Amino acid sequence: MLRDDELLSRIAGVLRHDVGPQVQQDFAKTQAFMAGVILDKVAGQLRHAVAHHRADRADAGALAAELQASLQPGDPASLRGSVEALHRAASSDTDPADNPADDPADTLAGDPVGGALHALVTELYAARAALGAERFDALLGRTRTALRARLDRQLAYSR
Amino acid sequence: MSADTAAGGEPALVDRIRDYLAGQLGASAGLELRDVQRIAVGWSHETWLFDAVWSDAEGDHAVGYCLRRDPGNALLRNLSDLGVQFRVLQGLAGTGVPAPAAYFYEDDAAVLGAPFLVMEKVPGVCPSPWGRAGQQFYREAAERGVLPLDFTDALIKLHTCDWRAAGLDFLGVPGPGNDFCRREIATWKGLIEQAEIEPDPVLADTIGWLEANAPATDGRPLALVHGAYRTGNVLIHDDRVSAILDWETPVIGDPLYDVAYVLSELNREGTELLSNLVERDTFVSRYEAATGIEIDPAVCDYYHVLYAMRSAAFWMSASGLFATGRNPDLRLARTRWSVPVVLDQAARRLGY
Repeated sequence: MLRDDELLSRIAGVLRHDVGPQVQQDFAKTQAFMAGVILDKVAGQLRHAVAHHRADRADAGALAAELQASLQPGDPASLRGSVEALHRAASSDTDPADNPADDPADTLAGDPVGGALHALVTELYAARAALGAERFDALLGRTRTALRARLDRQLAYSR
Repeated sequence: MSADTAAGGEPALVDRIRDYLAGQLGASAGLELRDVQRIAVGWSHETWLFDAVWSDAEGDHAVGYCLRRDPGNALLRNLSDLGVQFRVLQGLAGTGVPAPAAYFYEDDAAVLGAPFLVMEKVPGVCPSPWGRAGQQFYREAAERGVLPLDFTDALIKLHTCDWRAAGLDFLGVPGPGNDFCRREIATWKGLIEQAEIEPDPVLADTIGWLEANAPATDGRPLALVHGAYRTGNVLIHDDRVSAILDWETPVIGDPLYDVAYVLSELNREGTELLSNLVERDTFVSRYEAATGIEIDPAVCDYYHVLYAMRSAAFWMSASGLFATGRNPDLRLARTRWSVPVVLDQAARRLGY
C-alpha cells in the first residue's frame, strides 16, 4: 500500500508533467505547477515527520537539562520558567512512532517544542543584562546548537 | 479599443478605468484605451499598462499610463500603501531620480473597487534576474558596460537627492543613534505579527541579535532609501535605467541599507556581479566617490541579517495570507518552505 508521502509525490508528478503542460492560461498553469511543488514539499515533510519529531524532542530535552544545570539561583524567574516549559514540551509530547494508531501527519499539526524554544530564546535576550555577557553567550551558544540541528532538519524538505 | 478581453477577462474594469481617465483628463467623449495589458497577478499590487487616446480642442493625444490597484491582500499588507507611493513619486518629480511621473491617486474604492494610482508608462523592460533569459540580458548588458554604471548612478541620484526639499519627510525621519535600525526592525516585526504564523526560535534569535547590535547611523547623511534596489526593480531602456520601480518600502534612513542590498548575495545567481550586473569594485568606488559615503562592511553585514529577517517576514506574510484564505494564489502557499531557507542565511551570518 502506498504511504501518504508516496501518494502525494505521485500526484505532484501528475500535476507537473501531465496537467500543467496542458493548461493554456498562464495563471492557471502556474497554479498547476505550484500545486505539484507544494505536494512534493508536504510529501517530504511527511516522510521525515516521525524522525524529525523525535529528534526535535530529544535535542530539546537535552538542551533543557543542560540549561537547568547551568542556571543559578539569582537568574530571572522568567528564564527559569522558559527552560522548564521547554523540558515539558520535550517530554510530554506524544511520539507517533510509539503509537502506531497515530498518523505522522499529526506531528505536523502543532509544534510545541518550537514554541518553547522561541520562548526560551526570547527570555534569554530579555535576561541578557542580568546574565552578563559571558553567561549569555554560553547559554545562547548552547541553545543555538539545538536550533542549528532543528533548522537542518527543516531544510531537508524545504530547499 | 473599448472594453475587450486584453485585460484578462475584465472588460467592466477597463471601461471603468476609461471613464475615470476621461473625467480626469477632461476628455468627455471619444477616449479609448489601447494595448491594455495586466502585468502582475497576486504577488503585489495589480498593475495595468495601456495607452489612452483622445482628442479635444487642443488636438489629438496619445499618452501611456500605468495603473496600480491595491487588491487588499498584497504581501506587504499595510506596509505597502499606494497613497504613500503616490506621494513619493510626486516628490521625486524634478529631483533627477529616474521614476515614473505620478498623475492621479484615488482612494475611493467605489471607483475601481479598491484604491489605485495612475502614473507614467515609462519605456523600458524589466527582466527578472532569476530567470535564464533575464540573466542573459544582464550578462550581455554587463559586457557592454553602460548599464552597470547607470545602475550605480541611479542609486547615487537617489541617495543624494534633497528629500526634505522634495517633501518626503512625511515618510518619517529617524532620530540619532540607532533609531533607524530600531524603526526598521519594528516595521518588519509588525508584518511578522500580522502573518499569524507559529513563532520560530531562529527568527527570535535573529530579531534579538538585531536589536542588541543595531549600529548608529550618525556618521552618514540620512537619505531617501528605496528598500529593494536591485535589477528586477528597475526599468531599463537603451542600456539606461529609465525608472526605478516598486516604491513599496521607501524610508528616510541610512543609505547603506540600500547599498547592502545591492551587495547582497540575495540578488545574484551564478555570478559574482552585483545584481547580476555590476563589478563589486566598480560599484563601491563609483558610489563612494560620488556620494562621499564610505561603505562600512560591518554595517552592511548587519543589514544583511536585517534583510534575512525581512525576507522571513515577507514569506511568513505570504503564506499567512494563503493560510487565512485572504489570497488563494498557491505561489503564496509555497513560500512557507522559503522561511527556513532565509532563516538559514540569518543563522549562518550569526555564526551557526
